[in-house]
Amino acid sequence: MIFIKIFLILILTLAFMLFAFSLRLKNFQRIAVILGYLALFIFIIDPPLSDVVARYFGIGYGRDLVIYILLAVMSLISIILFVDTKTNKDALTKIVRKIGVDNAKKCTKS
Amino acid sequence: MSDVAIIIPMYNEEHAIRNVVLELKEKYDYEIIVIDDASSDNSYNEACIEGVYILQHIVNLGQGAAIQTGIEFARTLGIKYIVTFDSDGQHNADDIEPFIKVLREKKADIVLGSRFLGKAENISTFKKYFLKASRVFTFFSTGIWLTDSHNGFKAINIGDFPDFEIKENRMAHASEIIDLIKRLKMKYIEMPCTIRYTTYSVQKGQSMINAVGIVIEYIIGRLTR
Repeated sequence: MIFIKIFLILILTLAFMLFAFSLRLKNFQRIAVILGYLALFIFIIDPPLSDVVARYFGIGYGRDLVIYILLAVMSLISIILFVDTKTNKDALTKIVRKIGVDNAKKCTKS
Repeated sequence: MSDVAIIIPMYNEEHAIRNVVLELKEKYDYEIIVIDDASSDNSYNEACIEGVYILQHIVNLGQGAAIQTGIEFARTLGIKYIVTFDSDGQHNADDIEPFIKVLREKKADIVLGSRFLGKAENISTFKKYFLKASRVFTFFSTGIWLTDSHNGFKAINIGDFPDFEIKENRMAHASEIIDLIKRLKMKYIEMPCTIRYTTYSVQKGQSMINAVGIVIEYIIGRLTR
């Protein structure tokens, strides 16, 4: 059991480090990812605690709460990655276009 | 220098581009701007015919991006009117002059070609009805009813519309242009044009399955623009 917990925490921490610190995130996005990470971290260490928290929010089972948090964090990460990709794509388009326009030539041969 | 440019986005058209450009050169004194969208074949050299401006994207961006590159370059030349023309030989060079005439007479700021007012040679029945059905989508997304909303043959007055800018890199630019008409309050009309579906152009063209991707691309683009 302890090995599974260590494995899960390692995977979770790796994913967290990757998303929270390698992307250009806004502060509120970074805070949301950190909160999601902390919640999942605690629930891995102490699974029964998730039942207590779930009951507090009226969800019922701890595992359901974990799935909801995972869904929320994954959705947030997908949106962040989409925006990041779009930003990079727009920048690439500008660069490629500038190179194209700067190197435009009028053909002299047929 | 003419105040009209024919903009030809091109991707892997080594077998067709030369005849397309030669025909345009023979019929018009307009500037011809070919944008090679990172072709992997010999298209660039085939398109490089005396007097033609040729630009190259170092990576493939898509037809919308290539047209916008052409527009930006045309602006540096002081061009006022542009015509977007396919590189695969589907469009008819004879259709250009009436379109430009309408722009010059200030009857419209943008003239949209319609194969359903004109001719669609050898079009498949499925494609015909699919394109007709797509008019409904365009109407609900833009409020503009067109007989042919996804026709690449257009003439545009870019001189009076400095904000005319295509941001959709790939095929969703056709729908984006309809959005621009509305946003920039451009006067538009549809005019008949001829689209020739040859075995070559059908093989090279968009599949119907891609159309679903284009719709999704357009919706996401609209939400994020």
